[in-house]
Amino acid sequence: MKTLRTRLMASGLGTMAALLLCACEVTGVGVEGSVGYDGGYYAPYGYDYGGWGAGYRVGPGRCCDHRDDHHDDHHDVGRGRAGHAPAYRPAPAGRSAPSIPGRSRGH
Amino acid sequence: MKCTYRRRYGLPSLLAAVLLLSGALAHAADFQLPALNSPPSGEHHAGKMIWADLTTPDLAAAEKFYGGLFGWTFQRIRAGDVNYAVALLDGRPIGGMVEKTIPAGEHQQSVWLTFLAANDIDAVKKLAVSHGAKVLKDIKSYPLRGRQCVLSDPEGAPFALLASSSGDTPDYLPATGDWIWSSLHAKDAGAEAAFYQNLLGYDVFDLPSDDGLQHLILSTDDFARASANDLERDSAHRRSHWLNFVRVENTAATAAKVVALGGRVLVEPRVDRHGGMLAVVADPAGAPFGLMEWSESDTKAEPK
Repeated sequence: MKTLRTRLMASGLGTMAALLLCACEVTGVGVEGSVGYDGGYYAPYGYDYGGWGAGYRVGPGRCCDHRDDHHDDHHDVGRGRAGHAPAYRPAPAGRSAPSIPGRSRGH
Repeated sequence: MKCTYRRRYGLPSLLAAVLLLSGALAHAADFQLPALNSPPSGEHHAGKMIWADLTTPDLAAAEKFYGGLFGWTFQRIRAGDVNYAVALLDGRPIGGMVEKTIPAGEHQQSVWLTFLAANDIDAVKKLAVSHGAKVLKDIKSYPLRGRQCVLSDPEGAPFALLASSSGDTPDYLPATGDWIWSSLHAKDAGAEAAFYQNLLGYDVFDLPSDDGLQHLILSTDDFARASANDLERDSAHRRSHWLNFVRVENTAATAAKVVALGGRVLVEPRVDRHGGMLAVVADPAGAPFGLMEWSESDTKAEPK
């Protein structure tokens, strides 16, 4: 009886190990090198990605755009919103904003 | 008696375990994302956009659209339920597309996910979380590609970090059809710039603007890597997001081709800061991305 219980327990453990492996296959857990792919992401639906105003410019400048460190009527450049210190650390005054790399491949 | 029990219970369980293990390993071996750079670049450029992944409900339709628009070719990778295609430009991997079914009756927005280079991904992820980011997908290793995770920033914009096994893409002017620029659109561009600066060490430049909104340039290694921009304030239907731009020869012509291929124009072609044209469009599944012209002479000089 004891032998039977031991063997049943062993077979149960074997089944559990098999199920665990199956779970690892589905989730990728514990398998360095990955199974499946984790990069897929959908965003919430119903938002607007267009509708930019006329002066809305998002691209890089040409090398090298000078910053306007003076207060102006439109925007308190370099000082954050409403004249307050910005949350970020501004690049040192006098440094121009760089552009994107200009060297082509193979040159 | 003993042998009977062993045969009945022990051996079948052992066989099942072996079969499942070999199945799992076979699937793991199937899903090999390519290295970003072959041979390895040996370069590291923290904060540079080095990859993008599209999540789409119809992979074949996406391949047809982007192949027709930019001349990309695709290498399919399938593992288990995952259908993935690596997008290649002149044989070089530049992005990926993963097919994910949207359950019937649900609405979800197909998007391109922006991958930023991070050398020490564990440290950067930890820093991000301590500054208000949420982990959407934890760090996972892909042997050839590297280690990556997906986060959302303090305003909820999703982005990914990638520590590339083969180094980061070298600093060349991107070829036509390659990614050339990324812009972050946020409710508070300054606060978001501070978040990413803490993570990736960006230099932040505030450029003059005509619209009263904050437009910041984020740079590393003395090259502009991205911009952070206040969202337009006229609509509640805006959310913080990253947008990636592909270099094109002619923005207007490419935008027209987008429409011909079943996409939409979200922002009509317009002149941007560098004097060239850009536009924002969406693919047939609705995923937004940008088009940007950039002539060789637009970058006048190499930084010192």
